Amino acid sequence: MSALRAILVNSLLTAGLYATMSYGLAVIYGVMRIINLAHAGILMLGAYVTLTLNVRFGIDPLVSLVLVIPLFFGFGVVLYVLLVKPLPQSAGGASIESLLLLFGVWLVLQNLAYAIWSGDIQSIMTGYTMRSVSVLGVRVGLPGLAVFAVSAASLVVLEATLRWTYLGRAIRAVTQNRDAALLSGINADRISAVAFGIGSAFAGAAGSLLAMLYAFTPDFGRSFLLKAFCIIVLAGMESVSGVAAGAFVLALLENVIGGYTAIPTSFQDALSFSLLVVALVAFPQGILGAFGAWTGRRRKLA
Amino acid sequence: MSLLRRSARFLVWPVAAFAVLAAAGPALLSRGALNDVWNTAFAVILASSWNILGGFAGQISIGYSAFVGIGAYTTVLLALAGINPYLTLPIGALLAALFSYVVGLPTFRLRGPYFTIATIGVSEAVRVFASGVSFTGGSSGVRMPAGSFDFVRNYSAMVLLAVIVVALSAWIKASPFGRALSAIRQDIDAAEALGVHAAKYKLAAHALSAALVALAGGLFAINFQYISPGSVFDFRLSLTIVLMPIVGGLGTVTGPVLGAILFSYLQIKMLSIPSLRDSYLFLYGGMLILVMLFEPKGLVGLLARLRRAPSAPSPARPVSHAD
Repeated sequence: MSALRAILVNSLLTAGLYATMSYGLAVIYGVMRIINLAHAGILMLGAYVTLTLNVRFGIDPLVSLVLVIPLFFGFGVVLYVLLVKPLPQSAGGASIESLLLLFGVWLVLQNLAYAIWSGDIQSIMTGYTMRSVSVLGVRVGLPGLAVFAVSAASLVVLEATLRWTYLGRAIRAVTQNRDAALLSGINADRISAVAFGIGSAFAGAAGSLLAMLYAFTPDFGRSFLLKAFCIIVLAGMESVSGVAAGAFVLALLENVIGGYTAIPTSFQDALSFSLLVVALVAFPQGILGAFGAWTGRRRKLA
Repeated sequence: MSLLRRSARFLVWPVAAFAVLAAAGPALLSRGALNDVWNTAFAVILASSWNILGGFAGQISIGYSAFVGIGAYTTVLLALAGINPYLTLPIGALLAALFSYVVGLPTFRLRGPYFTIATIGVSEAVRVFASGVSFTGGSSGVRMPAGSFDFVRNYSAMVLLAVIVVALSAWIKASPFGRALSAIRQDIDAAEALGVHAAKYKLAAHALSAALVALAGGLFAINFQYISPGSVFDFRLSLTIVLMPIVGGLGTVTGPVLGAILFSYLQIKMLSIPSLRDSYLFLYGGMLILVMLFEPKGLVGLLARLRRAPSAPSPARPVSHAD
């Protein structure tokens, strides 16, 4: 019983982090139908910027979010204007050109990190890194709890923005139907730039949070990128509210496999990556979409 | 006959060059130069084989290191069981084709970028799995059984295979099979409406290119005598396999060869210039960005544009994405 409770609490904590690192990917995909492979690079860069702020200026990783979020918002907008916008627009569907272009950006970012911070393994230590507290009778690390709180807060802010502001409504309109949004006078180009900014800001923030929990190198980010893909695929690619559900499913699965089966932890990532493929093939509309299909609602992927 | 003649036009050049290299190379060139040719031939095989699926059929897979790994491990493990390494090559090719079929069956239901993402997932899963199980030697790898190793023999086999792969790729491009793949690349719905069994053709192209890549993987293992999951299932290997044909010219016969020569040259330079080694990701990523933004047809497109350009100086024309 207590083992089950531990798994649920840990899954929930992991899910918050996973959702934060997946939101950016989902927003960019929704608005532009672009699969942002540079997401992994931005996650990694967010971790390194947080490290530098911590080591050089003694800024706490949680406080550094105040700087990291606007910084990466700007980075995303510049990335969109300089590289993504000049690409020929493809009619509907995600384009392989934008995927490869952003793949190139990822490689450049990785090299940038090697050049600035070298390939050594880095980690961030704070006064509370080793502290733990009891939640529902389960001992959890204080950083994990703090990360969850920040994740939950940022998700609430994003949901509120999408639901109740003009910007949010415009983003949702472009996500649902770009042409119809253009017809109703939305500047889809500006919305795309903002969406790229939001996507990068979330990736950068997720990088800061990951840096509090894991050691990292410039190569860091690939496995998290694949997990984020797995989550947005489970969420149905464009449903921002489904991301939290997808994140919980993946986190639960990982924790159950780690806690109840004899499968060694070194294989855990292999299972998450296989789940990505299974989810892509079996649930092209996401978990929620798969339920929707029973009630007769069907959408076609790409 | 006309098919033969059409593909022959593409072939004279590379076949002649490689035939000379294969026959006269060992007598004329130094061991170092032979090694460079060996590396280039290896790259040509990987790039041209990948191009059959990625270029001709437009299915971009970032996961081909899995097939290199299957070929290499089949050769080493069977050689350890006492079989002549060269006889193990077809077995590795068969296993890779089988694996490509098993993976392709579900993933080819996905289109464009979704397929690409799935291939990253599969190859990363394979890599994690291979580093964890014991028969691959884990992270410490496995060594070929000690015995006489003949570099010239390996060299000849690699160069011969490169010639065969380029010839095959030229032949495929001009054949009905190649035209079906091209139809799938341009518009899969239209192709299926015209009666092209897209899934069957994609699986066939995948299996063929996987088998060829696995053959090269086997020869790689024989040459280096030692392999580990970190060397043959590496993500960077998958990355290079994708970049060579894209930078050279996706879907053309000469493009992957040009890309392979360029990347082999860069790799050789990297060994002697440390600053280049430290910035190869800048170089690879930068090339990918430039190709996508300015010349989606890669080096082949660039050369064609240079040839078209009038000899008299003319004002720079804006890049057209229309074609």
